[in-house]
Amino acid sequence: MDWFLSLTRQETTHSRLIAMAFLTVLTLVITFFLPPVADSQLAGGAAIAIVVLGLSWLTGWSGQISLGNSGFMAVGAYAAGIWAHHHASTPLVFTFVLAIVFGGISGLIIAIPSTRLRGPYLAGMTLAFSAAVTPLAQNFTSVTGGEGGLFMNSLVTPRWFLHFFSGPNAAINASAQWSADLAVVVAGVMFFFMANLFHSRTGRAMRLVRDNDVAAELMGVNLARTRTTAFVVSAAYAGLGGALYSLLQASVRPETFPIGLSITLLTLMVLGGIGTLSGAVIGGIIYSFSANLVAHVNSLTGVNPTSNVGANMQGIIFSVLLILTMLFAPRGIVSLQYPLRRLFRARPATPTPKDVHL
Amino acid sequence: MSVFLSSPFMHNIFAGLAQGIIYSLVALSLVIIWQSTHVLNFAQGAMAMIATYIGMTEIDRGIGYWWCVIISVLVGMALGGVTERVLIRPLYGKPEINPIVVMVGFLGFLEALAAAIWTSTTRNITEPFSQIYFKSNGHLVFLSSFIIFQIVLAMGIMLSVAALFRFTKLGLQLRASALAPEVSRLLGVRVSRMLTIGWILSAGVGAIAAVIIASGNFGLFPTDMDGIFVASFIAAAVGGLESPLGAVAGGLIIGLAEQFILAYWSPDVAPLGGIIILVVALMIRPQGLFTKNTIRRV
Repeated sequence: MDWFLSLTRQETTHSRLIAMAFLTVLTLVITFFLPPVADSQLAGGAAIAIVVLGLSWLTGWSGQISLGNSGFMAVGAYAAGIWAHHHASTPLVFTFVLAIVFGGISGLIIAIPSTRLRGPYLAGMTLAFSAAVTPLAQNFTSVTGGEGGLFMNSLVTPRWFLHFFSGPNAAINASAQWSADLAVVVAGVMFFFMANLFHSRTGRAMRLVRDNDVAAELMGVNLARTRTTAFVVSAAYAGLGGALYSLLQASVRPETFPIGLSITLLTLMVLGGIGTLSGAVIGGIIYSFSANLVAHVNSLTGVNPTSNVGANMQGIIFSVLLILTMLFAPRGIVSLQYPLRRLFRARPATPTPKDVHL
Repeated sequence: MSVFLSSPFMHNIFAGLAQGIIYSLVALSLVIIWQSTHVLNFAQGAMAMIATYIGMTEIDRGIGYWWCVIISVLVGMALGGVTERVLIRPLYGKPEINPIVVMVGFLGFLEALAAAIWTSTTRNITEPFSQIYFKSNGHLVFLSSFIIFQIVLAMGIMLSVAALFRFTKLGLQLRASALAPEVSRLLGVRVSRMLTIGWILSAGVGAIAAVIIASGNFGLFPTDMDGIFVASFIAAAVGGLESPLGAVAGGLIIGLAEQFILAYWSPDVAPLGGIIILVVALMIRPQGLFTKNTIRRV
C-alpha cells in the first residue's frame, strides 16, 4: 500500500506543485469571466481530464493499454448515481469516494486476468468489458433505471456563492460557474495526487516494468502487483471522472458511456501527450471546446451542421487526428516543447528523451 | 426424431452454431492478420462493414445479390491491402501499442464515415434465402435455408482458406514469412508482399462475414460489427491468436455459450458471458487453449 500513502506525500518538485496550484487558481478566476455555456463546457472537460489522466498513467507509465475506461467511468457514475438518486443530501465528498472505491474495485476485477495479458490481448479484453457495460446498465432496470437512467440533484449551488451574482439570470449563471469551479478543484486535487504518484517509488517501479519487465523482476519489483496497482488507480480515476461528469449532467444514462467514448479518451490522451500531466490538461481543454472546434470546421467547409455529415464531423475529425498523431508525432502536443525549448534556451539543448516508450 | 429436432434444446444448438460460425469466420480473419503482422486489427469489423455498405447498396441500382457480394469482397480485400500499406507498414518495429491506437482510430473513422454517408439507420438487405423454419411431419425444425446458406458459405470459406495455406505455393510462402521472416527473405520469398497478401485475404474473409450478418435479421448499420468483433476477438483469444483451428473452435464455443446463457439463464447477463469465458480460459491457459508452444517476448 506504499503507493496509496505516496498520493498525499509530496514526491514531485516544488516548481511543478506551484505551477499546478497556479493553473488551478487561474482557471477558477477565468470561470468568472466566461459565459455560462463555456463554464459548463469547461466543467465537462475537467471531469474528462481526470479520466484521461488515469488512462495516461496506465498507458504511459505502466505500458498497458485499456479500451475499458469508458466502462470504469460508467461503474463510478452508476455507483455515485444510484446513491445520490436515493440520498440527494449526502455530502459530495462521500459520493466521490464511493465512485472512486467502486471504480477501483471494477479495475481490480479486470486487472486480475489482465496481469497475465499483454498489449493486444489486454486491449481486446478491456474493450469487451466496456462493450458489456452499456447493455448491463440497460438491462438491470430496477437498479439502474434502464434506458432512461437516474436523476440526481446533488450539485446544489451554495447560498454564499449566489451572493456574487445579480441580474435576471443570476441563478443559472451561479450554478454554471459553481459546477465549473467544483470540477476544476476536484481535477486539481486529482492532478496533485497523480503528480506525487508519478514520482514516487511506485511510479519509478512502474516505468521499469514498462521498459524491461525482466530487469524489474530481478530488482525485486512484483510484476503482477505493480500492473494491478496501475489498473486500479486508472479505474479509480475513471470512476471519479465518470461520477463527476454525470453529476454535472444531473443524470446518469447508459448512452453516456458507449464504446466510442473509450476511443475519444484514447484520442485525447494521444493528442495531449501520453504519460504527462500537461497532456491530460490539454486533452481536457480539447474536449471542452471540441464542439466549438467542430462548429468552426463545419462553417469553414460549408457543411450543414444538422446534416448527416455535420453530425458525424466530430467523430471523423477526432479519429483522423488520432491516426495522424500516432503516425507522425506519437508523443503528442506536449512534445512540441522540445524544439521550443531548444529555441529559447542559451545553454546546451535539453536532450529529447530517447528512451520514451512511444 | 423430428420431435427431438423440434425441441428448444436443438433450437439453441442450431442458433448457437449459426451465430458461432460467423464468430469463427471473423476470428479466423483476425488470426490471419495476427500471424502475418502481429497486429490485432481492431478495425477488422469496421472495414468489413464499409465494404458491405459499398457492395450491397449496389442492390439499389438493380444489380443482383451475388454480384453485390462479389463487389463487397473485392472492396474489402482492396481496403485490407491499402490499410496494411498505408497505416500499418510505418509502424513495424514500433511498440505494440502504436498499431493498436492507430487501428482503434481507424475503427472510429470508418464508423463515423459510414454514418455520415449512409446515416445510422438500419438497412435491410434482401436476403437471398428464406428465414422461415423448415417443417417436418408438422413439427418445426429450427433450420431455415438462410441458416444452411450461412453455415455452408462460412464452412466453404474456411476450407478454402485452409486449402490455400496448406496446399498452394502461396500458402507455403505466407506461412514461411509469418514463421521466419529473415530466413524466408533469404530464400527469395518477398516477405513484405506476403504481409500485404495476408491482410488482403483476411479482409476478404471478414467482408464475407459482414455480408452474411447484414443479409440476416441483424441488418446493416455503421456499428453492426462492434459486437461481432468483440465476440470474435474473444473467440480468437480463447483459441490462442496463433491458431486458425483454435479460432474456429473458439467461435463455435462462444456462439453456443451466448445462446445457452440467453436461453437458460438470463438475457441480462448475456453480455458478460463472453468475458467470463475469456477470463476463465485465460486463467487456465494464458496462451490460448489451442496454441502448442508458449511464446514469451523478453
